[in-house]
Amino acid sequence: MTDQLNEYSAGSVNWRNTLKQNNHRTFIVIALFFAIYFALGLLVDTFLYAGHYPDTDLSTIFIGIITLKLFPIATLVMLAVAGISLFVTYTFSDQLMLLGTEYHEVNHQTAKTPAEKQLLNVVEEMKIAAGLQYMPKLYIINADYMNAFASGYSEKSAMMAITRGLMEKLDRDELQAVMAHELSHIRHMDIKLTLTASLLANLTLMVLDVFFYSAMYSSRGSEGGNSRSRNNLAIVIMLLRFLLPLINVVLLLYLSRTRELMADAGAVSLTRSNEPLARALIKISGDYTQHNAQYTTDNEHTPHENVRREAYIFDPRQAGIKPLTSSSDFFSTHPSLEKRLQALGYKRKH
Amino acid sequence: MTVLILLILIAALVGFVILTYNRLIAQIEAVRNNAKQIDIQLDRRFKVFESLINVVKKYMDYEQTTLKDVVALRSQAQQAHASGDEAGRIAAENKISGIASGLNIVFEQYPDLKANENCLQLQEEIVSTENKLAFAKQSYNDSIEIYNANKKSFPANVIVSSFKASLDIDFPYWQLSDEKIAEHESYTVKL
Repeated sequence: MTDQLNEYSAGSVNWRNTLKQNNHRTFIVIALFFAIYFALGLLVDTFLYAGHYPDTDLSTIFIGIITLKLFPIATLVMLAVAGISLFVTYTFSDQLMLLGTEYHEVNHQTAKTPAEKQLLNVVEEMKIAAGLQYMPKLYIINADYMNAFASGYSEKSAMMAITRGLMEKLDRDELQAVMAHELSHIRHMDIKLTLTASLLANLTLMVLDVFFYSAMYSSRGSEGGNSRSRNNLAIVIMLLRFLLPLINVVLLLYLSRTRELMADAGAVSLTRSNEPLARALIKISGDYTQHNAQYTTDNEHTPHENVRREAYIFDPRQAGIKPLTSSSDFFSTHPSLEKRLQALGYKRKH
Repeated sequence: MTVLILLILIAALVGFVILTYNRLIAQIEAVRNNAKQIDIQLDRRFKVFESLINVVKKYMDYEQTTLKDVVALRSQAQQAHASGDEAGRIAAENKISGIASGLNIVFEQYPDLKANENCLQLQEEIVSTENKLAFAKQSYNDSIEIYNANKKSFPANVIVSSFKASLDIDFPYWQLSDEKIAEHESYTVKL
């Protein structure tokens, strides 16, 4: 069963409000990530100093660290590691996004077919509406399924890619809405944001792992003389090792969904119309349902689909298309079609 | 201690004033740039439409004269055929072939000149050009909205009132005159 737009009652959307609301949410999530990372650093420091001063209370050590009477070496090292890895990913992961696909760039010199010229026009129009200084690079992925994504860490290095299937199956207005959604991702700097968040999430888990094993080792190694407080900490670490991955996943998904809703609102703000985007989303989702079997094999034969999943305008997993090695993240990175349409002002009729 | 706190407060205040000032200046320049973007798009529309019209004219002139020629040669060939003048007929038919190959050369010069497709592309160019102009106006108004909202909100308005010359600029929104609106409102397509 595929949805039709006439199954929804049309309304309007206050995109200014949606943007503002989701901006607040993002701020909270990112602040939480930094707080967790920082807190973990302090925890490691507390643990290290508890080894040095076995007779001192944990709280005394902790206060000593935050008042800088004890030098928080682990926290600083962790911040430095985060800084360096963020820098490295910012520099290199632009090329990652197209990995495994068959693609070509479209610009005024290479655009040949009317469809490609129209796509270029549409993107230029959206660029003007968004008041961007640079034209993002535009790629067409040679694939039948309908999807698109944006990447890049600044306006200057921004790129958008769209599958041939999407370009051919959408009409002009729908194409415009989709490209406006992608351009909004660039405008809102979503790629930088989600990457920063997921990098921090991964780093926390790595630090926690190292911390966990060294804590186990050291608590086994030194008998008696080891402090009771250190053992208390070990319990906290064990607990964190179970909880933190879960918290990370929930936060990342929440962030990703928030940014999708923002990009939808951004698309409405650029095109000043909510109907084409609603139509396009329904069409894409319907297309995935209709050609499910074919796209599933396509998906399996395209390496590194996971790299793009979060960036896509539509999460293929919502149509039940999963890679063979289905990982634990069965939660979708995108809000459901119904939720997105509702945010666009389209409510399902009952 | 109190002196230190006072100094920090003053520094924070000065920092805030500088940030607000710079943000407003950036917003003013964005409005100015967006205003010029409308000019750019108007200029673009003029040039694009001029050259489009020229290409179409050239094509239509050529098509019209060739069509006349072909019709004339066709009747020549038929008359020659009826009167048994086979040489005359072949000559006329050959001339038609010549025109056809000439047409092909024109097509090669303008690879896009293929009847229907040509028409569609013309349409696309016109739509896109008009869209770009409209979006430039929209973007201009959006930047004015952001600037005005910022300028009039507290506490930025306090800073604006102390730097009136450089920060308080009244940009008019792009809009149609009342008569134009009334005129366009009552417009319907007459077929």
